Amino acid sequence: MSLMKDFTNGLFNENPIFRLTLGTCPFLAVTTSVENAIGMGAAAMFVLVCSNFLVSLLRNLIPSEVRIPCYIVIIAAFVTLVDMVMAAYTPDLHKALGIFIPLIVVNCIILGRAEGFANRNPVLNSVIDGIGMGIGFTLAMLLLATFREILGNGTWLNINILGDAYTNQPLLIAILAPGAFILLGFILGVFNIMGNRKGGRR
Amino acid sequence: MAEMLKLGLVLMVVSLVAAVALGLVNRQTAPVIAVQQEMAKQAAMTVVAANLSPGDSLAFDSIEVEGLENPYASVNSSLRVVRVTVPPDPQGIGYLFIAYGKGYSSTIQTMVAVDAAGVVAGTTILFQSETPGLGANVTEPGKLIDRLNGITASEAVLTKDGGDIDAMTGCTITSRAVVNSVRAGMDAMDQAGLFSGAAPVDAAHEEAAAEAPPVPEREMAADSALEPAREGGPL
Repeated sequence: MSLMKDFTNGLFNENPIFRLTLGTCPFLAVTTSVENAIGMGAAAMFVLVCSNFLVSLLRNLIPSEVRIPCYIVIIAAFVTLVDMVMAAYTPDLHKALGIFIPLIVVNCIILGRAEGFANRNPVLNSVIDGIGMGIGFTLAMLLLATFREILGNGTWLNINILGDAYTNQPLLIAILAPGAFILLGFILGVFNIMGNRKGGRR
Repeated sequence: MAEMLKLGLVLMVVSLVAAVALGLVNRQTAPVIAVQQEMAKQAAMTVVAANLSPGDSLAFDSIEVEGLENPYASVNSSLRVVRVTVPPDPQGIGYLFIAYGKGYSSTIQTMVAVDAAGVVAGTTILFQSETPGLGANVTEPGKLIDRLNGITASEAVLTKDGGDIDAMTGCTITSRAVVNSVRAGMDAMDQAGLFSGAAPVDAAHEEAAAEAPPVPEREMAADSALEPAREGGPL
């Protein structure tokens, strides 16, 4: 029961983007297309699960005074390892995800969950939390990327859905940085209204 | 005091383990990555050069054009131009070179195939890390790079700069970087006298062709084109 709760936590109640407002930097940067959103989401979830696992495993060995630098070293080393191994053995995948890998290091969801969950919960719960948070992050990115790609490019997952007339002269601001902020603002507003209606929680 | 030592030791151990792991993996993967990149470049060369003479098997010889440098490289290297031949005919049918242009957020590397008269036959983007969804679309066929086919150096000018090539919407900086770097590269090759109508016959290549039986193209391509890249500097 508690495992299920840890899993669903990341989807809505503590959705990293819409409720915790964590990791918005890569979120805003990468949501220009649905394809990118899926790639970034998958890569971030992978690192999130692995770092949650390691941090939870080492939670009794690392003194609390130096835990943050330790987590940063672990996460950075892990991301670099993944980057090198992918570049060497799966070059096609690396080419597709290449720009996201370095962005994961600065994704504060990962540090946030290491600090906020994995360092005081058992290994299994931490891994489940990582999966839930990863899916929540991916869904949030899919939502914004859908708006941005359709408005800004007339396509969804590279499929032209609004016709050539729109694609030739799209609403470019949606794909540029200001559009990301404007749309994120709208979505956050909707989420807050829904959260308030649900039980007055803020 | 003991507590401080313990904290320092823990940090040191964590960093040490991370560093050793990274070092070991890097030693394993670095050569593999280098080979992958070389293969990717080779594949790009073959694809782009195929525009010069579709259907023929091609050979590449590296030649140097003095005074042309990658302006963004930390070490200056003169532009290495690859001459394309259809063996056993030693007459060059065109050239490949890489143009370096400073874009919006990266140095864009464009591989260009030029025929012996100085007309662009084909291009491909080797590297860029422009804004995803905007400048990064430069790699897509049908956007900017196809508009470069069939032009000469003097025609490689954006509409905004008084030429005839339309920039990608919202990506003037990216488009300008590509177009201007291609023009600069072709200008330098023109000044070196490469576009005299027919590419000069490479003496060394002629001798080799006369003395030895033709080397299989694949090997020849690998030998001649891989070598300079290994010595340092792209292409």
